[in-house]
Formats: sequence, structure tokens, C-alpha cells
Amino acid sequence: MSRSTRIRAAIVLAVWVALATFPEWSVAWESSRFAAGIIRQILIFAIFASSLNLLVGYAGLPSLGHAAFFGGGAYAAAIVAQRLGTDELLVSLGAAVAGAALLALVVGYLAVRAVGIFFLMLTLALAQMVFAIAFQATDLTGGSNGFSGVHRPVLLGIDFNAANDLYLLVCAVALLVALLLWRLATSSYGRALVGVRENERRMRALGYDTRTLKLSAFVLAGALAGVAGALSAYEFRFVSPNDVALGTSVAGFVMVLIGGAGTLVGPIVGAAVVLSIERVLPSQLPAQMVLGIVFIAFVVFARQGLVGAVRRAVRA
Amino acid sequence: MTLEDALQQALNGLSFGALLFILAAGLSLIFGMMDVVNLAHGAFYMLGAYVALSVTRATGSFWAALVVAPLALAALGLLVEPLLLRRLRGRHLDQVLITIGLSLVIADFIRLRDDWGWGATVRSLPFPAGLDRSVAIAGSDYPTYRLFVIAFGAGLALLLYVLHRRTRIGALVRAGVGDAEMLSALGVDTDRLFTVTFAIGAGLAGLAGVVAAPVFGLQPGMDVDALIYSLIVVVVGGLGSLSGAVAGSAVVGPADTFGKVLVPQFALALIFAIMALVLLFRPTGLLGRVRIGR
Repeated sequence: MSRSTRIRAAIVLAVWVALATFPEWSVAWESSRFAAGIIRQILIFAIFASSLNLLVGYAGLPSLGHAAFFGGGAYAAAIVAQRLGTDELLVSLGAAVAGAALLALVVGYLAVRAVGIFFLMLTLALAQMVFAIAFQATDLTGGSNGFSGVHRPVLLGIDFNAANDLYLLVCAVALLVALLLWRLATSSYGRALVGVRENERRMRALGYDTRTLKLSAFVLAGALAGVAGALSAYEFRFVSPNDVALGTSVAGFVMVLIGGAGTLVGPIVGAAVVLSIERVLPSQLPAQMVLGIVFIAFVVFARQGLVGAVRRAVRA
Repeated sequence: MTLEDALQQALNGLSFGALLFILAAGLSLIFGMMDVVNLAHGAFYMLGAYVALSVTRATGSFWAALVVAPLALAALGLLVEPLLLRRLRGRHLDQVLITIGLSLVIADFIRLRDDWGWGATVRSLPFPAGLDRSVAIAGSDYPTYRLFVIAFGAGLALLLYVLHRRTRIGALVRAGVGDAEMLSALGVDTDRLFTVTFAIGAGLAGLAGVVAAPVFGLQPGMDVDALIYSLIVVVVGGLGSLSGAVAGSAVVGPADTFGKVLVPQFALALIFAIMALVLLFRPTGLLGRVRIGR
């Protein structure tokens, strides 16, 4: 490990420990429990946004259908756990990853044929089909009523039912995903994805099978979105068609762009900003409208996102 | 299914196709000229329907709404293009992203305007006087309004075709679709042309909203439905050409209608399957000029 990598690893570890122990050291605050709930949700959506960032930021694939895999994972976790009558974490989380990856393979097979705006159109339309299936398959998903009564999981006898225990689980999974993405971004695979984003024809000329490369990134990103979906199902004990809907895909995209596409920290910052607007701002404010305006402002004035803007300011 | 039922469903399919044509024509026009897929198209459609609701309430006339709502949406287009999209000329993806933000703002605006009689509850727009009856066709009653939609869609297609082929603005649009840069070098004010094109596209979305409102009603989520259907139509028919919008809506409208009757569980899967097949075997769409896939 180089010196800068070690410093970064130390910072990540310190931030993570501070976050993971938040319920302990904030216990005296009046709103500690509420804040811990918000942090859990921020981390869940940070995983979702980070997985989307692998496509949008690294591979240059602007997917507007990522909710299909978030919601698909959530449904898979909830349905498999209920049908098998088990609360075992590895079963439901495994079902979420497998289900979301399979779904991503099907959608991606069609979508990676297109580039740019067309890729965006196709992912949007295909994800809407997943939404329609979730909405219509009432026996399986509960249709428009959603799937309620999801149990929180157990792992090796440890029960994650209590809020603080679930908090630790979410923190642990978020750390694992972040480390995986960090490893990926600095690997030759991550570089190859950036190569596809920058100049796909040149990558093909260099002998890369770019379509397979893009499809593999799509499946991987889908699987990670499935992890976020499963955590969301545990968190809310509920899966609704909203989790598969366009609104969730858009929210993920907004998080990636506001935070900074193509950076590892950006999507986490973006998730924090978006959830703060949605859950913390006074409820009489029109959250979606604020979000829309903020998003437009970022696209026009700060396309590199918050993290990108800070980096640029530091360098200058 | 009896022959009478089949005929009824064929008419339903045609009227849905006519509606899809109005919707997709605007989307396709904007794309053809500006290389921008306007993802606020569904929100424009929704806003058109709600403006029509207010105008009909105020004047008591659907026909007034049919004129005012598209004009209002065109006016919005006249504002949006120079204020938001022009700054990002050449950055097509970013322009598309802006239209996403715009659609969030419009949908939330409609949801909040309970005081205008809009809001999040389901609203309905009555059939216009004179078209609220049924006529006997092949032994069964058929609502006249749906026949009107078919005629209206066909008439509009004809009008757009003539405008496109026979007028100066049509010639400019054709030239702009072909090569906007060259057109600009020849001294045409392409900024103005883009603004007008975007306004016409937005107006068409609003028009589709008015025409659809008496049939489908007004509710949250109608923007997303409209956007998805219009995207499917342009992918199937081909982006950026009027004939593509006609072909796409002629396939998707009847396919969706018959699908809903014959295989209700798989109706949506059917039109998505059509889209997937077109993508795999004819990546430009049936009559398009732009390759969507490779």
C-alpha cells in the first residue's frame, strides 16, 4: 500500500467507527433515535447510489432504470424469506443478490446495445416493465398494496431486529460494499470501464470485448443495488411498488450527480443531501420540487457534483 | 371473441394509436431537430390535461380547452428552451437530465395545487357536448368520442405531413434535422428554430393531454405512463421522423389494446416484447433513420 492509500484507509476507518458508534455516543441527544434512523436510510441509499455510480460515473452508462434491481432485490429477499419460512440473513440477502443480478442480466443484455441517450431510454422503459410485473403479480408481490410483514434477519444466531442492531448490520454491509467498490475502481477492471466511457472504439481496437465488459458492470451494479434493496426491506419491514418505480431510479441518479459522478465518495454525499431534503426539511416544503430545482442547478452549474467541485477548489 | 368484439377492440386500438401518435409526434420532432429526448414530455402531457381541466371549468367548453392548453404548453416550451436547454447546447445528455429535473418540478407543482382543483386526487374531464353519446356500429354501441379521437389523430397526421413537406417552416425543420450546423452556416437563426421546434413539441404533448383526459382521467402518475408509452412508440417506429411516429403508434396502440383483452396478465409484457424484438432485429426502428442499438 502506498502512503496516500494508507492515509485514506485510516480516514475511512475513522469515519466508519464514528458512524457505527453513533447510537452510543449520541444517546444523550433528544433526537438520537430519529437521527440514527436517517443515517441507516442514508447508508442504504448510499449503497444504491454507489452501485449506480459504477455505471453512470465509471462505465459512462447513464441508467435510468436502476430501481428495477433495488426493488427486485427487495422483493426477492422478502418473498424468499417468507416462502422458506426463514429469517437467515444469508438466505434472503443471497436471494436479493441472485434475483437482482439475474434481472440485470436480462435488462442489460438488451440495453448495452445502445449508447448515451438511447441507453437511458431503454433502461427507463425496461425497468418500467419490471415495475409493471411487480404491480400486476399480486399473488407474489402484494401488487399495489405492497409486501408487508418482512422480518428483520438473523445471522448465526445474532438477531438484527432491534433498531441499534439493524444499524450495525447496515453499517457493516455499507463498509463492505464501499471497500469492494474502492478495490474495483483501482483495479484494471475499473480502469477498463473508464476506458469504455472515454473511448469505446479505442478499447475495442485494443482487444477489449466492450459489450461483455459493459454487461458485466451492469450485472454487478444490479447485484449491489439488490443488496441495498434487501436492506431497505429489513429497514421498513415493507416492500412497495415504489421501490421499483421510476421515482426511485431518478432519486438514485440525482444522488450520483449531486454528489459527483465517477468519485467514490460522491454518491454517499449525494444520498445524504437527497435524504436530508426528503426527510429532514420541514414537511410543508415541496421536497420533489426542491430536488428537481437543485438537480437542474447542478447539471447547469456544477456538473461535476459536490465532491468534484470541492476537489477542483482544493487544486486551484 | 366474437367478430363484433374484435371490431370494437380494433376501434379502441385505433383510437389509442391515434392518441399515441399525437404524443409521440412531439417527442420525435424535438429529438429529430435537437438530439434531445425530452423526458419532461410526460409531464407536459399531464400539465396539458390539467390546464384543460381548469379551462373547461372556467369556460364550460372543452373546445376552448383544446385550443388554450396546447398554446399554454407551447408558451412554456418557448420559455424552457432558451432559459434552460440553450445553455447546454451540444451537451445532449445534460439536456436530457435537465428535462428530468423539470418533470419532477411540474409533477410536484400539480400535486400541490389543490387550490386550483388539481392536487393528488383523481379528477375527470367530461366528454364534450355532442360527443358524449354512442353510435351503433356492427350491432353494438360505440362511444362517439373515441371515433373523434381517431379522426383527430388522422387529421393531425395529415396536417403535420403537409406542414412538413409543403411549407417554409417544414423545409427549415427538415433541413435542421438533416444538418443543423450547415443550416446555421447558411444564415438561418437555428437558436430560434430550436426554440420554435421545442415549443411545437411541448404543444403537441399538451394537445395529447387534452384529447386523452376525457378517456383516461387525470391522476398522479399519468405523466410516467405517457412518457413510457411515447418512448416505446418512438423506439418501435423509429426516432426523429413523422412516419416513424405513425408506424410506431399504429403498431403499439392496437397491440396494447388487444393484449389487454386477450392476455390481460401479459399485456405490458407484449408491447415490451415487441420493443425488444425491434431493438434486436431492426435497431433503427421500423421507419427510423437513427440507429438506437448496434
